[in-house]
Amino acid sequence: MSSALTEVRRTTTAAAAPPADRRKKPPGLKRARTFYLFVAPWIIGFVALTVFPLGYAFWLSLTDSDGLSPRTHFVGFDNYVEIFQDPLTLSSLGKTGLFALVTVPLSILAGLLLAVMLNQPIKGRGLLRGLIYLPAVVPPVGAALTFRLIFDRDAGAANGVLSGLGADPITWLVDPNVRYVLYALVLWGCGGSMIISLAGLQDIPRELLEAAQVDGASYWQSFTRITVPLLSPVILFQVITGVIGSLQSFAPLLLSSGSLSGAGTVPQGNYLYMIHVFAQYFSASRFGYASAMLWLLFAVILLVTLVIIKVSARTVFYTVEPEGKK
Amino acid sequence: MTTTNPGLSRRRFLALGGAAAGGALAVGCSPASSTNTPVATGTGSAAKGVVTVMSQSGEFGPKEAKAASQALGLTVKTVEYDLTKLTAMLASGNPPDVVRGMGATETPYLVARQVAENLDPYFEKSELIKADDIDPVNDVWRYDGQKQGSGPRYGFAKDYSQDCTIWYNGALFDAAKVTRPSATTPLLLDELLDEGKRLVKRQGAKVSVYGLNPNGLGLFGQLTWMTDLAGGKLTSDDLASVDFSSPEAQRALTWYLEYAKAGIGPTVLNPDPNGWDGPTFQAGRMAATLSGYWLGGLFSGDAKSAKVAGFAPAPQFDTGRRVSPCFGATGLWMPKAGKNKDAAWKVMEWYLAGEPAKARAAGGWGIPPLKSLQKLMPQKLPYQKQAYDVQMAEKEHFSVTSYTPYVRQDAINAVITRELPKAIKGSVSAGQFADTLNDQINAQLADGKKRLR
Repeated sequence: MSSALTEVRRTTTAAAAPPADRRKKPPGLKRARTFYLFVAPWIIGFVALTVFPLGYAFWLSLTDSDGLSPRTHFVGFDNYVEIFQDPLTLSSLGKTGLFALVTVPLSILAGLLLAVMLNQPIKGRGLLRGLIYLPAVVPPVGAALTFRLIFDRDAGAANGVLSGLGADPITWLVDPNVRYVLYALVLWGCGGSMIISLAGLQDIPRELLEAAQVDGASYWQSFTRITVPLLSPVILFQVITGVIGSLQSFAPLLLSSGSLSGAGTVPQGNYLYMIHVFAQYFSASRFGYASAMLWLLFAVILLVTLVIIKVSARTVFYTVEPEGKK
Repeated sequence: MTTTNPGLSRRRFLALGGAAAGGALAVGCSPASSTNTPVATGTGSAAKGVVTVMSQSGEFGPKEAKAASQALGLTVKTVEYDLTKLTAMLASGNPPDVVRGMGATETPYLVARQVAENLDPYFEKSELIKADDIDPVNDVWRYDGQKQGSGPRYGFAKDYSQDCTIWYNGALFDAAKVTRPSATTPLLLDELLDEGKRLVKRQGAKVSVYGLNPNGLGLFGQLTWMTDLAGGKLTSDDLASVDFSSPEAQRALTWYLEYAKAGIGPTVLNPDPNGWDGPTFQAGRMAATLSGYWLGGLFSGDAKSAKVAGFAPAPQFDTGRRVSPCFGATGLWMPKAGKNKDAAWKVMEWYLAGEPAKARAAGGWGIPPLKSLQKLMPQKLPYQKQAYDVQMAEKEHFSVTSYTPYVRQDAINAVITRELPKAIKGSVSAGQFADTLNDQINAQLADGKKRLR
């Protein structure tokens, strides 16, 4: 009886509630609306400047557009098929993969080494950190042109040094030496990697290292068993961003060894994928094919990133859980 | 499926966005092409409004825009020339009103894509440019759909050069005990190569003075010219294929490979760090260069170079055929989709034939495109007088070379420079090199032709 009465009361109360209360939106919906209102500018920008252009580029990749011709023909997936039949595209993709394989580990290792050194309480380390980081803030165009001057055969400083030592000058900016100049250019900017590693090193709890020291661990043991594992998320971040950056390398290649006038003068050693894309866009005016090449690159980058994340799952140690718990 | 995009369309605007997707490379779909009938509605004071000129700041920059605005009562704005930007502007249906271009190599490409305006009606009504005053070199800006050099005019040169004429450093010739080139009798290409070998100076493995630079404005142009000199043709009559395997083309290729293998001048394997001949010549590090008359403008303010510089006719093979080509004829054209064509023409006319044209003529940085202005070319200094005389005689040997409408010349040059190192290093023969060029360039041409269907 009492339960029935309670039920009646509940019903009555609900029925008697003022209409305004019934219209009141649940707090969750209100929060969601506020959230979407605040993120709307980003969403609009993302759709207009990323999603839509991506879609349009995909459409272009299905055409033979040259940017100027009055007619654009739909060619289906012909451009994608051609990619796998074009030896130049495949060879440039291979060179790009090799470039990433060499430069990313080298750059991260160099940055880590410098970070470890400059994390020590040495005199003038602030100045040293600044000096080493400086090349990373030089615009890539400036850096590339500087390297071009340094490695010029007749007037470059590199051959000036060799000449002072009595050695013959080296043609650095042509094949096969040109790729080493490129590697040097990438390593020159490893200050960026150093700063990230340095930040990661400073985030490692000191008590862990001190505890290891008390337990008799050597410096190397502390480094490999504590520092590197705790730094692994930072290293993973650098690997992923480094690989993406390497696969998209463009301006330094064009400027350090080629010509400002186009991709045609870039030596074969530096003829990486993006240079070929540039040549297809602006020398050959093959907008459709070049767009297909870029979509392929997007797929490759996505695949490589997923593989890296998957492979790293067992080797990366997170001190913070995704939910934020330590 | 074929899509046709007349006028400004959403698709063409959206093409701009597509570029960003793939690495910020601008893309586009089509130009506006609402009519094939050009109409010059007026050339007089009725022209008004804003005119946007896309050019290089050193040619038609803000200073020239200000002068044009004052002289013509218009508002003239400039945009720095950039192919990407131009394509994007054309694709969005908002092109500049006037654009810088190289008539010799670009005219067929632009016309075949219906991008450039037929300027004949404007020339007919022009007060500053009279038909009988137009230098024949301006014919490179004409194209009838099959042959360059005839048909409507789609642009006009601001100045030009016959780009295989030779500038030489007399002091270096004297020091090497090589006879200076004749001002009247053209050198044979084989003689020139031999002289280049004698003129080159080396310090160990390092070249301190280049003996010769025959690279000009791109190897395809040079090889086309040399094949012509040898009595053949590199490009077929329908402009849809090339043949580097003919005996004449082989002669041209062999000559160039011998030059490159001799290591006496810049090549793709040993580029000039200056990027162009001017500074190298001024530094006394280049004995001879096939650069064209325009380079002489550089020496008027450089007493050291002016003292040693000499000018000679374009060389030839021993076939007796003499051709002195123009690969540039840099000038201005008007996009068909332009919004303010009458005013744009006033700006073009003023720049190409008015006060700026006279000033350019006197500067010596090229030959004026109007015969009446050619008497203004500098003749005060000895080298200027000598160059003027040689150049005036050289005009007799100019003829228009037809370039293909199917691909940009850059694309062809990219193939040549990509494959050239193997031939220079000797890992492929001249014949194999020719076969590779034929395969790759003809594939490009076929693809370009297919796109115009």
